[in-house]
Amino acid sequence: MTATLVIALRAFSDGPLARATDRALVPLLSLGVVSSIAAFAVGLMVWPLEATFSSPLGRNHVLAAAWTVAYWTLLLVTRWLQGAAIWVGMTRWVMLGLAGVGGLLLAITGSIGGHLMGTPTAASQALRLMGWEIYTTYYVPDATLALIVASAIGLVALGVWGRRPRIA
Amino acid sequence: MNRSATYAAVALFVGVLGVSWLTHGRGVVHNDAARHISIPQALTVPLQVQAAYNDTTISFRYRWPSPRPGIFHDVLRYDGKAWVVRGGAVAGSQPDGLHEDRVAMMVDDGRVPEFGRYGGYIAIGHRLAGTANEVSGREVQAHPYLGQRLGLDEGTKYLPGTRSNLNDWASTLPEAEQQALISAGYFLDLWHWRANRSNPMGVADDQMVAAGRLSDAGRGAYVTNWDAAKRQPRVMFNPARVQRSALSFDDIVQGRIGQDDVYALREDEAVPFDAALAWRDGDTIPRRILRTSQGSRADIAVSGRARWSNGFWDVTLTRRMDTGNPRDDKIFVDRGVYQLAFAIHREATGGRWHYVSLPVTLGLGREATLQAARFEGETPGWQQPPLNVTLFYPGQVNWALLNSSRHAGAGNIRAGVPVRYRHSEDQLAHYGIEMEFNAAIQRQWTLTLLAGLLLIAGFGFALNMLLSRKGA
Repeated sequence: MTATLVIALRAFSDGPLARATDRALVPLLSLGVVSSIAAFAVGLMVWPLEATFSSPLGRNHVLAAAWTVAYWTLLLVTRWLQGAAIWVGMTRWVMLGLAGVGGLLLAITGSIGGHLMGTPTAASQALRLMGWEIYTTYYVPDATLALIVASAIGLVALGVWGRRPRIA
Repeated sequence: MNRSATYAAVALFVGVLGVSWLTHGRGVVHNDAARHISIPQALTVPLQVQAAYNDTTISFRYRWPSPRPGIFHDVLRYDGKAWVVRGGAVAGSQPDGLHEDRVAMMVDDGRVPEFGRYGGYIAIGHRLAGTANEVSGREVQAHPYLGQRLGLDEGTKYLPGTRSNLNDWASTLPEAEQQALISAGYFLDLWHWRANRSNPMGVADDQMVAAGRLSDAGRGAYVTNWDAAKRQPRVMFNPARVQRSALSFDDIVQGRIGQDDVYALREDEAVPFDAALAWRDGDTIPRRILRTSQGSRADIAVSGRARWSNGFWDVTLTRRMDTGNPRDDKIFVDRGVYQLAFAIHREATGGRWHYVSLPVTLGLGREATLQAARFEGETPGWQQPPLNVTLFYPGQVNWALLNSSRHAGAGNIRAGVPVRYRHSEDQLAHYGIEMEFNAAIQRQWTLTLLAGLLLIAGFGFALNMLLSRKGA
């Protein structure tokens, strides 16, 4: 969540404080990703895998945690590769939006973890109002799976296409 | 162009996330008759319960919503050539509405300790009737104790301590041990009110759960109205008593026969079936003959009239505090605390397609979830507020599963942590459905997880490719 705040600050500000915190962003994100992977691994050891994978809450927690780790890895890699240039122009708002999604994923993961440990949070009620009962497994139908895979391929193609040198 | 491509990538990513959110949870859960799966529209139903007692009698008053009064059970319909059974058991609601509404209550006095913590879950054993892997009636009938000694013909509820192996319905303990368990009070008393097969006689069936779902000693309130040799009903309505020989099938399924009409075939209102009458297509005779129950099985009476009105059933059952049958019934004593669990059938459902409750405690002059009010005289005043109980659809979750490595709470069960400590009725209903489709959901969930990772990777690739060029 700290990283989300840093990204938000930097998106809105070019001031010294924002620039200073941005310099800590890559280490911060690295630490977050490493600790998330560690937490993920420890979490998988709490119950037998068979129990975790047979429980709607367990499945949701694994799914949310896996996506959260992957997503924040994406943010880390992006900030790392792009450097401070990421804050130039409109891409700063892209970063802000991505951080928002990442923060949401993290909140969902934490909320489900709370339910698993017997300390439910109000976040589940918000998710219920938005159309997801967290006591049911999150999965999508085959058509949506196909759309996701096609979109992933399309994104790769878009990246390759956008990378091509242009003839002036 | 690059900026546009970047925004296109972001838009595509966010858009697909949105589609995922809007379509999640679809494509797997559906009714499946081949696997005995029929999921009710409403996963939870409220039930109101009151209890009252005096020196000799205890009464329970139940009220629950039911869209239609399910006062019919299976029937024999003449189709112009032969008499055929209509209203046999199906998964979920019987299409013609030919399954009766019911309320059931299991009672314990603390001598089945798991019951007070986990309620009816403890009685849902391995391969019960109505589950996807149900044991066949033939196998049960062939079982030396369950079939040949107890007369069971399908996989019924049973208590876990009556088996040597939690994962084997057939692993019954020797009969001497079964009898010793019952003597020690290791059984559940089962009050079973049926809108068709017991209510017209003013009684509820008095049953019990031990090695199986058994009936108390004595005679039940119904027998089957079928002459197998002649392939016709044994009896029909006595026209001299009820002004008709049969009902009209259309009248039944259209709901034109109500509680104040003759709808059940009572022994004292019946005469031997006359095949020579001019039977017409659609003539219908109930498949059950109702009669006066006797002995220990006749202990529970309907108080007043059980009525359906304006979408609700109101049923009051009464029994002696001490029936004198301690091997069949839980004996109520002033200052005692007991454990109860309730169930209802509605919307023409039978078998396991019912709603159940978590256990509640009953106190007779003692602190408990449901406080029985003491009354003087013949009938209770019912002045006390009812206990609101949430009933839920339990799916096919059985006791073996809950105690296995597939259930994260198995350790809690071993530690004696009550189900209510970690689960609400709402959650349990969802869990019940999820377990009915566990394999399919697990597969779809795995694919969803992997597809999501692929999407994130694809997005990351596109984003960095596009931004790198832009920055270059």
